[in-house]
Amino acid sequence: MEQTTSGAPDATASPTLTSPPPQGPAVSVRGLRRRYGSGSTAFEAVRGIDLEVARGSIHALLGVNGAGKTSTLEVIEGLATATAGEVRVLGLDPVRQRREVRRRTGVLLQRSGFVGDLTVRETLEMWTATVTDPRPVDELLELLSLTAKADTRMRGLSGGEHRRVDLACSLSGRPELVMLDEPTTGLDPESRRQVWRLVRELREQGATVLVTTHYLDEAESLADKVSIMRAGEIAVEGTVAEIVAAAPSQISFRTPAEQLSLPTGEVSTDGELTVLRVDDLQPALTELLVTARQGGVRLDRLSARTASLESVFLDLAGDHHEKPETHDEPQETSR
Amino acid sequence: MSVTTTTTSAAPARDGWRTSLRRTVLLGRVNWTLMVRNRTTLLYAFLMPALPLVLLVVGTRGGQNANIDPSAGAIAAALLFALVFPGYYNLLSMFVTRRDELVLKRLRTGEVRDGELITSMALPGAAVTLVVAVASVVLAAVLGLPMPTNPLLLLLAVLLAIGTFAAFAIWTASWTQTAESAQLTSAPVIALSTVGFVVPLLPSAAQPWVELTPGAAVELLLRISWFGQERAGSEPGMSFVETWVEAAPSLGALAVWALLAVVVARRSLRWEPRA
Repeated sequence: MEQTTSGAPDATASPTLTSPPPQGPAVSVRGLRRRYGSGSTAFEAVRGIDLEVARGSIHALLGVNGAGKTSTLEVIEGLATATAGEVRVLGLDPVRQRREVRRRTGVLLQRSGFVGDLTVRETLEMWTATVTDPRPVDELLELLSLTAKADTRMRGLSGGEHRRVDLACSLSGRPELVMLDEPTTGLDPESRRQVWRLVRELREQGATVLVTTHYLDEAESLADKVSIMRAGEIAVEGTVAEIVAAAPSQISFRTPAEQLSLPTGEVSTDGELTVLRVDDLQPALTELLVTARQGGVRLDRLSARTASLESVFLDLAGDHHEKPETHDEPQETSR
Repeated sequence: MSVTTTTTSAAPARDGWRTSLRRTVLLGRVNWTLMVRNRTTLLYAFLMPALPLVLLVVGTRGGQNANIDPSAGAIAAALLFALVFPGYYNLLSMFVTRRDELVLKRLRTGEVRDGELITSMALPGAAVTLVVAVASVVLAAVLGLPMPTNPLLLLLAVLLAIGTFAAFAIWTASWTQTAESAQLTSAPVIALSTVGFVVPLLPSAAQPWVELTPGAAVELLLRISWFGQERAGSEPGMSFVETWVEAAPSLGALAVWALLAVVVARRSLRWEPRA
């Protein structure tokens, strides 16, 4: 089913502005496509994805740069029109019912700007004065630890402080749905943790959070559900536990594999390193160790690990060869 | 500190014209603050329109109502400078800078509507132009110059001109890459705005056409509505009704420019820098 609309289906099917359905997903996307350019230079950034974000959940959209995360989010935010497909935000069309959607959502763009000659307080005062149900400015300043910077002009802020002001603006209207595009990019570890706490508090209060990130630790720590995008499509979706459980575990060692009868699994070699990918780690590892003992073979630098979000992500990144960014506690990979 | 959110079914949108007006005026006040905070925009906004008025005071001092032509020229120049500099150039520069720095994109993610954003950015220039118009009337009274023959027509012309030049600014912004390049891309509109001052020097066959340019139309409307003059150098003394009749072609020309500017601005408007 592919509609060639601008993300704006039949108005008669749309809920009215005054009676949005309280139930149903916070975000519903069906067959979304987004194409840039035309003719031979056309590029399809989003290739027919389906996505559903449950109310009151934190949903992470993961992917390497260029996977289509921001292109998808911009359509959901109503900032761009879809080439095809259907999008509903809180049961509303984000383009045709933009005003109502804007009133109930908070958006943090991946890159955005503020007027440099305004102070932090003036910036937040301007924002809160334009929303229907504003939070007090002092509350926002405290929430994002910006009180000490309240009278600093925006051009005098660091990148992380700038990002926190940006986030404060997103939350200024007490949104039901918050859409955050790489919210912690450029933040120091403490600020990142603070943002994570904030996002969890939003969920505890009943808000829905849709967040894009390429920080795997962020997704693992925060998300109730994860969708991993690759080349404009959603390649994997589920909770972190479900995604990891469905992925093969990995055993690696430096002894040439030809000396051994290996358990059933996918075998690959990288120089002297033999990598064995198996569905069930424990019996495979037991079998390998028994075989090695019987054959008198020493398994140098033996490593066994269950699948992780990172290993799944790296597998999906495939030919892109882009390593995801991790912070604070880089996860070791056996590759 | 805990976060509180609205998660129940929200109240119906109260997005009436009052809300829209409140947001526009509020954003306009912020833009006014920014205009006076920046030395360059402050200079453009106030010094340029003030210069002709200073000349008016100096030139009229001691020569009580001797010749209305220089006075009309000075007042027209003050109004046009207000329209061109804070009204047109500052708006153009502000729009391009904020577009390139993604300020506009960010603001559009909130509840502010596009029309409110543009209007609020045009408000400081509009305010300066209106202040210049009022100051001109006050100065004329102090200096013993004639009062406007048709104040309504004068107000209409000023408001129409404010809208036209604001639309020109947004249109120009669509093909202006950076704030620096605005110095070049603004040249055609500035030329169209100031060509009216050389009308008397042009061949008589060309004059009616040049009078249709926006700047010349504004100058002519000022002469008609204020001094009852048909054009520069002609005898004053038109009646109230005659001023409406005489102003019709210039009003029409300005309205066409306004319409044209709005149409092309709407068609070519960009809120984000080109990729």
